Formats: sequence, C-alpha cells, structure tokens
Amino acid sequence: MKNNPPRVALFATCLVDAMRPQIGFAALALLEQVNCLVEVPMGQTCCGQPALNSGDQDGTRKIAKHNIKLLAGFDHVVVPSGSCAATIKKDYPDLFETDPVWHAKAVDLANRTYELLSYMSDIWGWRPKNVSCATTATYHDSCSGLRSLNVQAQPRAMLASVAGLEMRPLEGANVCCGFGGTFCVKYPDISNAIVAEKAAAINATGADLLLGGDLGCLMNMAGKLHRDGSKIRAFHAAEILAGMGDGPAIGETA
Amino acid sequence: MTDAKQAIFAAIRKTLPAPAPAPTIAAELSQLRARINATRPDRVSGPADEVFLERVQSPGVAATAERINSFDEFPAAVMRYAVRHNLGLDIALQPHPDLATLNWSGCQTHDHIGTDETLAVGLALGGIAETGSLIFHSSQISPTLFAFLPLHHIVAIPYKNIWPWMEDYVASFAGKSPPRNVNFVTGASGTTDIEGALVRGAHGPGWLHIVVVGSPGL
Amino acid sequence: MNAFQGRVTAALADPTLKTAIDRTTNTARSKRAAAIAAWPEFAQARELGRDMKDHVIANMEYYLTMFEANAVKTGAKIHWARTGQEACEIVVGICKAAKAKSVTRSKSMLGEEIGLPHALEAAGIERVETDLAEHIIQLAGETPSHIIWPALHKTREQVGELFRAHHTDPGELATVEEMVSSARRNLREKFMAADVGISGANFLIADTGAICTVTNEGNAELTTTPPRVHIVTAGIEKLVPSMVEAMTMLRLLVRSATGAELTQYTTFHAGPKQPGDVDGPEEFHIVLVDAGRTTMLAEGLAEMLRCLRCGACMNHCVVYRQIGGHAYGATYPGPMGSVITPSLDGLETSQDLPRACTLNGQCHEVCPVAIPLPTLIRGWRTKAWVQGYEPLHTAWALRIWEFFALRPVLYQLASNLALRIMPLFAKGGWISKMPLAGGWTRYRDMPIPQGGSFLAQYKKRQAAK
Repeated sequence: MKNNPPRVALFATCLVDAMRPQIGFAALALLEQVNCLVEVPMGQTCCGQPALNSGDQDGTRKIAKHNIKLLAGFDHVVVPSGSCAATIKKDYPDLFETDPVWHAKAVDLANRTYELLSYMSDIWGWRPKNVSCATTATYHDSCSGLRSLNVQAQPRAMLASVAGLEMRPLEGANVCCGFGGTFCVKYPDISNAIVAEKAAAINATGADLLLGGDLGCLMNMAGKLHRDGSKIRAFHAAEILAGMGDGPAIGETA
Repeated sequence: MTDAKQAIFAAIRKTLPAPAPAPTIAAELSQLRARINATRPDRVSGPADEVFLERVQSPGVAATAERINSFDEFPAAVMRYAVRHNLGLDIALQPHPDLATLNWSGCQTHDHIGTDETLAVGLALGGIAETGSLIFHSSQISPTLFAFLPLHHIVAIPYKNIWPWMEDYVASFAGKSPPRNVNFVTGASGTTDIEGALVRGAHGPGWLHIVVVGSPGL
Repeated sequence: MNAFQGRVTAALADPTLKTAIDRTTNTARSKRAAAIAAWPEFAQARELGRDMKDHVIANMEYYLTMFEANAVKTGAKIHWARTGQEACEIVVGICKAAKAKSVTRSKSMLGEEIGLPHALEAAGIERVETDLAEHIIQLAGETPSHIIWPALHKTREQVGELFRAHHTDPGELATVEEMVSSARRNLREKFMAADVGISGANFLIADTGAICTVTNEGNAELTTTPPRVHIVTAGIEKLVPSMVEAMTMLRLLVRSATGAELTQYTTFHAGPKQPGDVDGPEEFHIVLVDAGRTTMLAEGLAEMLRCLRCGACMNHCVVYRQIGGHAYGATYPGPMGSVITPSLDGLETSQDLPRACTLNGQCHEVCPVAIPLPTLIRGWRTKAWVQGYEPLHTAWALRIWEFFALRPVLYQLASNLALRIMPLFAKGGWISKMPLAGGWTRYRDMPIPQGGSFLAQYKKRQAAK
C-alpha cells in the first residue's frame, strides 16, 4: 500500500447510484471508520456486467477500459456489491487475455479491488461498536460474492456484533434468488418461480429484516416479498452496520 | 469403418496437432498418480477385514454380515440364514471347487442359476474395505449371473483377500489380462428411480449376506 | 413466444411436475451433501479428477489408440462412428447380422443422444429398456428428463397408473416397493430372452481395453450377460488411462450423482466370453462415437469433455428445479446441457438455453471435475451476441446503456431524469407497473428510487463541506 492510511475509491455501482444512495453513504461511513481516505470518482457509471453477461465482450471491454483508467492510482477500490466487485476482480483480466498492456492494467485493478463487507472484515478486522438494531434478521448470500469472492462468514461475523440484532438462519441461504441480472427480465416466469421459493424461505424464518450484500438481489427479493404482502423489510448489510437500520428500508419512503 | 477412425483422428489433430511422445505422457500420468493417496477417504484406519465388516453393514451398503472361524462352518451359516428368512434349502451353489468340497448335507444344491432363483451361495474372489465391496472375476468357477439373478445372495469371502483400498485391489492385478467381467458388488440391488426413494431388489438380489471366513487371530 | 418459452410456460403451469422434481432433487442434494461432508479430501480429489480428465483429453489420440489395441486383444470388435447416425447404423447392422428380434438396453445417455431407441424401433427390433426409469418412460412414450433419473418428472402416482395399464399382474401398486417389484417380475424373462444387450460405458479403460458400467439395479449386467451379443456405445471422451484412475473417478462420480460411495454394481467388461466361461456374450462390440466431441474440442469446449454425467449440476440448478428437464428440449438438460446442446444442435435453435441461466455458479461448485459451467455458458452468450442472435430490443437497450456508461456526464443527466420520472408510477414506496419494466413488475414490485442519485447527493454534500 502506497499510502497510509490508504486512498480508497468507492465504486458505488449503477444500481446503488440510482436506486439506493443510502448504501453508498453507509459504505462511506464504514470506510471512514477505518480511517480510509475515501473518494468517490465522479466519472463512474457501471462495471459493465449487463453487457458482459449478455455476451457483448467488445462493449464490456470499452467500459472496463473506462473504469481501469478512472480507478488508476487508488490504493484500494471498494464496491458494495459482490457481483460488481467480481466483474472487476475476475472478469476484467479475462477480457484482456490477448492484450498484454490492458491485461496488466486489469490485473493491477483486480488486485486492488474489494467487495465492501469482506474488505471491512478481512482487511481491517473491523466490527461495529455501539451500533444497535433491536430486531430479528436473516441473511441471503448473493451468489457472485459467495462463490467468486468467498463472502460468507464476514457479514455474519460483523452483524453478530450489532447490539440487539438476532440473526435467524435462512434455509438455502446459498441458493440463487433468481435475479441473475438481465435474466430476471429476459425470463421473468422462471425468475418469478425461483424468487417465490426464496421468498417462502425468507418468510419461514419469521425474521423482521432481510439482509444481503447485493442490491440487485435485495430488490428482487424485497419486490417479491412486497408484492406478496409480506411485512419483511430489506436492507443492505452495510446500512445496518453503519447504524442506518432505523431509516427507511428498501422501497419505504422517508 | 477405418474411414471414420481416420476422420475422428484428423478432427482431434485439428485442435491437438502434436501428440506428446509416450514418455512425456507417462511422466505426466505418474505425477497424477502420486496425488491419489491424499484424496482417498481417510477411512481404512484398522485391519482391512474389520473395516470391511463394518462398511458392508453401514447404512449406505446395508448388507448383513457375519464372521465364521473356518470355511467348514459355511454350510451351517447358510442354513441358519435360510431358516431365519424362511427360505427352502434348495440352493444354487456357485460351481467353485472350494464350495463343492464342503459338506452340504441337509441342503439340495445345483450348480447353475435359474431366472427366478431364490437363494444362491457363492465365494467372492475378494473384497474392498474402503467401500465394502465384494469382487468377482468371471470364470468357469464364477459365473457372472450368480451375483445378479437370485433374490438372496450369500457370499463367503476369505478374510485374507480383503484389500484396504480400491487401488490395492487394482495393483494386485495390474499387467494381467482381465477376466471378461470384473464385478464390484456393493450391497444388494437398489433403485431410487421413483421419486428418489430407495427400494431394494430392483433387478438384482434384494438381500446380500456376507460371510467373512477366518480372522488374523486364528 | 418461442418454442423454449412455450415449454417453460407449460412446465411452470404443471404443479405435479414441480412436486416430482422436488421429491427427487431435494433427496439428491441432501444425500450428496452428506457424502461430501464425510469426505474431507473431496476438494483435492476434485482437482485430481479434473487434471486426470484434462490429461486424457489432451492426449486423446494416444489413449484412444491404446484402448483400441487392448480391446482388440480381449476379443472385442471396435467400430468408429463420426456421427450419431453412423453409430446407429453400426448398432442396427450388428443386430441384424445377429438376427436379433429382441434387444435389451441398459440406460446410456449417449444412446439417447444419438437416437438409438428410435433407430432400433425403426429397424423393427423389439427394444426393452431395463433401467427402471427408462422402463417407465418407455411405457409412457417419453424421453428422459434427467440424466441420472430419467423419469424424475413422474410422481409415484403416475408410475402406478402406467404399470397398471402395461404390466402383467401388477398387483396393488400402493407403494413404491410394489411398483419396483412389479417391474422386476415383468422384465425378468425379457432379460433372459434378448438376443442382443446394449449398454453405454462410464469409462473406457485404455490399458486393458475394458469398459466400465455403473448401476444400482444390476440391470447393466443382466442386459450384457445373457444375450449372445453385447454392444457398447461410448463417447470417445470416456477414456481413463487405467483402472487406477477409474477408482478416483468412481469416488467422484457416485457421490456426486446419488450420494452413495459406490454404485451397487460396478462392472468392468472386457471382451466376449472366454474359454471355460459359463455365461457372457459370444460377441462383444464397442462403438466409439464422436458425434460432436471433436467439434467441442475445436470450439474451445474441451473442459466440457471432462463431464462424468453425474447430474449434480442439474440437481443444484435453480432453473432446472423450476422447469424440469423436458423444457430444455434436448437430450441433456440443466447446466451441462446448456453447454452441450448448442454445440450438438446449433446455437441458433438452442440460444435460449445458455441465456436462461442466472450464472449463480452453484453448478460449478458441485461439479466433481470442476467444469467452469458458468464461464462456458457465458461463452455461448458471447457467440450468440457476435452472431446477432440477441433479441433486438435487449440488444438495443444494452447498446444505449453502453453509450451512456462511457459518457459519465450524459449518464448522470439521463439517470437523474429517469429518477425523477420513476416516482410518477409509484404508489407508496413501490412501483407495481411501469413502461419498459414489465418483465420485472409482472411478478414483483419495484422500489422507487430514494431520491437524487448517489453521485449527485455526494457532490452536494462535498460542496457543503
């Protein structure tokens, strides 16, 4: 690390930017607690995952180059989403396999990029202090974070230090919620059948809150729960950890 | 159809143009083999015959088993089993000389296996402790169908012929020309084809009883 | 609605199907999990299995040559088939030469792939499927919906009805046990009366020329032993160097497929009846089939040739578990099928298969030979995009998105405009219907955006500092 404290770029992701800025502010609050010098590069848009998963590699490479340039020079790049972090960390280098110059740059970025929850726990050993949230919650592991970045124990360990928060295990917590990015709009019937099963499992926990680390999956599950009249409210785990659990949940107005 | 063979090999060569020389392939293979032992389920912790007896009776294999002191006691063990299961004493006896010399008085035996045989009695070549498998090599004295047609199959196995791991069995026959059939039999026939529910006696035997003969202490 | 979407709609509307899928796949997943938990060395074994298969595939010509030479020594007759049709012609030719009236068949997915059941029937040969599940779907006139449990889509009640209609003396059929017993009685004489037995091969053992079959029912051996002729059809990728490697593969295959440690019957067949043998076939034929394997090799799908056909990927696939196997419209369903089918049937007709995947990665996680299924599936999407198969509306939506994503200033303007429009469709905090969002809002509500974008709010906050 060049700087101490490190210079950190927060890559908020397009979904957080548009739909739920509070997750971005929660991430900022957490990063400031470990004394990072956080910046939010203004040129950021999207990691390119929708294009990549639709097969448009050329389009994705353009976006990747944009982000590689944008995020050059930061010690760390932190992303409050397992799937967007995985795109930068795992897919960017693969995209430039035949281009040694950009491949090296992509690998360099990949090595500096972290998913927020694992970053707080693995790099800083951070645990919330004086954060309370007296309620019950369950946690869904989003697939990319879980399988590409090994995010599983970290959020649970940090949430265990939130005063008053009782965590309930979710049956099939590691099973996909049916979001799958563009999948959910390309094959809405299948996606619905999958998220219906997930919603049933979430309801069965009897918890008040659904927590997760990826806004896409959370919107999918929260949207289904709301459509079906469930009272369960959804937050990004970072919001709870940053002490923002008393605010409006996903889909609630302030 | 040599045309087809040539065409397939040509197609392989399109992607893999330069086959490696045999010594290179052999060296790579021996490196792979060196990794096998570390991947085996760490299970054969005691004497192979004891582990074998435990495995064959474990829920996954679900055979029944017993141990007798000497081969002479085998007919009596068979008769006890037949009585316990209300079976007649009309036995299809595998045409193995070691079985033929035993005293089967009290039973009727025949040396062939019928389509709807109730009870067959046989002698396995050996067994594998790791998996609780019996091994049969097809031959004049070990017809394959003895292990597949009866409803009840009672098999004797000399305790000395139990190999700890699958690879140990393989090593014992490496380089020898194989019999027509090598059968690993691991428990009675079963199926999970209807709703995943396990039912025994699908096409092969519904019951497998294993009799280990002798023990190291004797 | 295209053919795939039509099959999906039908599958999702069938409540019995979901019940049937759940009954088997739930059991399969929990039994596999228990087997893997009892095998701490699994991760290492999986890497070894992967490397062994890669070794064989990289040296395919060498091992095929070795296998052929050794199989010939056992008395086997080797045939080579470039295509499925060629393979079927060879098999039918052998049956005719043997004047076969009745053929028993032990389940082989390759046989299904190349259309062997149909070819036998077209040749006027009686075909008796001996695997219980294949027997069920033969009676039903259907195709397999799973590669391990071909009749997975049938409930016990449906099986009972079939047996009642087709079996002699079926009995009460009140329980699964009674159904199995009825099938046993009805198939017994067929095994013994067949002229030819046809099996697949789980492994081809290069250094002995033997082929390995695995079954739990014992139907493979009853299929291959009594008839005069045994015909094996096997894909050329099924090679292992020797029995030693077969043992590693068996440990991986069986646990991944059924959660058992070894199949009840694991048999290595080498050639025809030997002098003195009491039973066994007089002729032993092995048909080595390419049928697209070398094409997959050339298409960058060499990793797919590792596949052991265990079915774990489909048991763990959220899509498969909703739509079942038939909706895929191909021999191989689930994640492995979504990789294989575009290669076998062409991408244009099967482009939906790789697209109808959430890329969640659980299939790769459970694969016993670590096939990177999501990567391969995404590879097909790349080809589909390049070949212009992406539906126009999504292709254009993506291009517009990319245009903005590369122009941050325009992006923020557009996004803040959209964020102002979206709440107009909301009731409370949620949108239940909005133009262009029908795919989402048909089944779920969409939360309204919280307010201005994060970047806009952050800029304001920094300016105020």
